[in-house]
Amino acid sequence: MSIYLCFVVVFSLLLRFITDHFDPNVSATIGVDFKTKKVTVDGNTVKLAIWDTAGVERFRTLTPSYYRNAQGAIVVYDVSRRDTFNKMQTWLDELDTYTTKRNIVKMIVGNKIDKDTREVTREEGIKFAKRHSALYIESSAKTRDGVECAFEELVQKIIQTPGLWEASAGTITVSQDEGQGGLPKCGGWTCSMN
Amino acid sequence: MTNTVIVSPDLEALLQNGLNKSALTCLHCPSRILNPSVGNYIEKEFSLPSMTKQKDQTDIEKHPVKDFLKVADMFQFENVGFSHTADGVKYLTCADCEMGPIGWHDLQTKECFVALSRVRSS
Repeated sequence: MSIYLCFVVVFSLLLRFITDHFDPNVSATIGVDFKTKKVTVDGNTVKLAIWDTAGVERFRTLTPSYYRNAQGAIVVYDVSRRDTFNKMQTWLDELDTYTTKRNIVKMIVGNKIDKDTREVTREEGIKFAKRHSALYIESSAKTRDGVECAFEELVQKIIQTPGLWEASAGTITVSQDEGQGGLPKCGGWTCSMN
Repeated sequence: MTNTVIVSPDLEALLQNGLNKSALTCLHCPSRILNPSVGNYIEKEFSLPSMTKQKDQTDIEKHPVKDFLKVADMFQFENVGFSHTADGVKYLTCADCEMGPIGWHDLQTKECFVALSRVRSS
């Protein structure tokens, strides 16, 4: 069985490959619009369309189109920087305002727990997540495992949540929005059920 | 365009019946991009922006590339990133470290083209 899901991922801090001498060309100049990823959960292959909003964060507010139709949202912050933790409130408020799904599954990821200069405790993170009915996990910046794990846990939760995807007997596919019938969804791309 | 070098990979070792023989991963991290036998080899000249540039460099060099693997549907990839639209196309990147462009996406036909010289065959 294949399931397609539409995701919004907010990175409060960029996780990037950067060396001393080179800039990653695409991300430094053009920016990444979206990604597709495959995750296997309970023997099912789940194909994710992910809108990583890190690229547009510098323009401050995200367009509402990024949130529409998303079944899940992951917000990543840096536990060694309180400002990234504080900013999450804004992201979650926007998410609640613009999402079209009432029971969107939210997950908060406290990243970079391997750093010595921790500014936000695990307890604070859990408390914040509880207040927003979100799942909470922590991850290390050294490995991508934590973030991968976040995807898997979130997908599992979405599969278990009735109403988010079970209405689709077939699959949800992603195609480019031609601009007809109102505002573009998911950054100009739209999810539709076949 | 300066220092233009076209690196032709050893095609025979990489292909089987016109398809990629082994899985493709990123050149910079272990992220898997494509499973074996998913991409169709196609010879097609296309200029891709350079993968790297010096920190103080502002202009983007483009290099002609001719050996591509065509992937008909974006969901056939294991992991891949798409850039914002530039020059009328979306460039493909590694989904994890975002190094690229490793190819390009045709907005009209929805087909993706992965440059063989910009990925690792494992």
